[in-house]
Amino acid sequence: MKTKEKSLAVGIGAAAILSVFLIWYFAASYTKVSLFFPTPQKVFSRFAESLSVPIGKYTLQMHVLYSLKRVFVGFGLSSVTGIILGVAMGYSKTVNAIVRPIFNIIRPIPGLAWIPLAILWFGIGETTKYFIIFMGGFANIVLNSYDGTNKVDQTLVGAAELLGANKFQIFVNIILPSATPYIFAGLQVSLSTSWMAVLAAEMISSYEGAGWIINMGMNTGDTVLILVGMISIAIIGFALANIMRVLERRLCSWTVRGK
Amino acid sequence: MVIYPASSCNRHKRNERLDKMKKNKKYMVISAISMICFFVLWELVTDVFHLFPVYSMPSPIKTFQAFFIKLVNPSPDGSVLLVHVAASLQVALTGYVLGAIVGIPLGILMAWYKPVDLFVKPIFDLIRPIPPIGWVPIMILLLGIDLKSKAMVIFVSAVIPCIINSYSGIKQTSEVHINVGKTFGLTKFEILRKIAIPTALPMIFTGLRVSLGVAWMTLVAAELVAATKGLGYMLQIARTIGRPDIIVMGMLVIAGVGAILTGTLEFLEKKFVRR
Repeated sequence: MKTKEKSLAVGIGAAAILSVFLIWYFAASYTKVSLFFPTPQKVFSRFAESLSVPIGKYTLQMHVLYSLKRVFVGFGLSSVTGIILGVAMGYSKTVNAIVRPIFNIIRPIPGLAWIPLAILWFGIGETTKYFIIFMGGFANIVLNSYDGTNKVDQTLVGAAELLGANKFQIFVNIILPSATPYIFAGLQVSLSTSWMAVLAAEMISSYEGAGWIINMGMNTGDTVLILVGMISIAIIGFALANIMRVLERRLCSWTVRGK
Repeated sequence: MVIYPASSCNRHKRNERLDKMKKNKKYMVISAISMICFFVLWELVTDVFHLFPVYSMPSPIKTFQAFFIKLVNPSPDGSVLLVHVAASLQVALTGYVLGAIVGIPLGILMAWYKPVDLFVKPIFDLIRPIPPIGWVPIMILLLGIDLKSKAMVIFVSAVIPCIINSYSGIKQTSEVHINVGKTFGLTKFEILRKIAIPTALPMIFTGLRVSLGVAWMTLVAAELVAATKGLGYMLQIARTIGRPDIIVMGMLVIAGVGAILTGTLEFLEKKFVRR
């Protein structure tokens, strides 16, 4: 029964994807769409070709690696500072009172709106990209870490106090573990915003990376190149989301959100 | 005997409340001081000591002035501030409303009718990992640089959270409620309309809120990449001619408009959702 249902699901899913490609294929081969849209074979052969033939200066996988490096540097910086600041704000009301008003000014500014200012500040080098990715993910991590630390069950803290735990013990053994799921929720959201931020940063100023590829395709009117870039972007985006989910399942197994 | 403990309890409560108010007051004072320090420091490093080059860091006063000048003066980018805001809002709301109109029913259908779910989910999963900004080049190439292409990008960015949230909202409907509905002889559609959708409404609104944020952010980015009008375009022009006061002012306007949009939605949510 279960396996039959599963095979039905796989069958319908495969049919759905197949029909998308068939529509794409026929539209791009036999209708007017062919004037401005390439066929799937063209896109996939170009994709395979770009793995060995460079686009611009690098091959496709090198471009993707460049983007990934930027994401990990920017995301790493924003997670470390964001978690520290958020936990500090949740733990101490004084820190919250000091930081909150300034944070409230900065928070509603979308991360990508920092791009022009970042270029004025840091030029068009790597620092700019790290900064933009940092700003993209920062606010979310701070908010989630704050929420997690703030929503600690006070009964548990009281019980620990009663049993003679000192502040440091309470912090490490109670506050941090109960904040971890929230922090992870923040990290997951901000990893996907970071991936978006790196694309935007690369589209506006860079000489390599996945964002550069699609921007190059736009500037030269090369639809095939754009689609190749989008496929690689989708693959990486998918991988990033799932890595985070696996990590979460490992690190906070006591409270996995969803299933 | 009866009155005494009650009044003592009241007094105790009042004291507690007074304590709390005092504490809150203390934190409010700290917040105010920190805010003032922030602006004074900003003013000091720019206008007074000139620690940053003029082309990269505006002073708070200049930023403030830029706002009022830009309200009436169309230079350097050809339109006054409100025209930019209106242009951005038009694009963002067009895409956003379309995204909500398509996304919410699609999410509901996917959650309620299994075959729809099985058919649409794989296609959805193909599209979902592409960040909205990744759609900008292809849309501009296919639809041109005007409203249509950007509205389509916003549509893609807004439709995804709408689908996800209305899907999981409907899936949350309790089995017991559905069975009660069946017992009373409701059809499947009536159960959906009278039980599942009301259950999902808070989640649907969350989806609307998330996608509004994403849509607004995507719009600004799209305008930075390619536009002839709008807030992102204003920022981009200000950068090329080195007017940081307009950039910072523009960022604050973007933040403000975003906050107003979110606030409106929260107001609607309070009106429509009974918790």
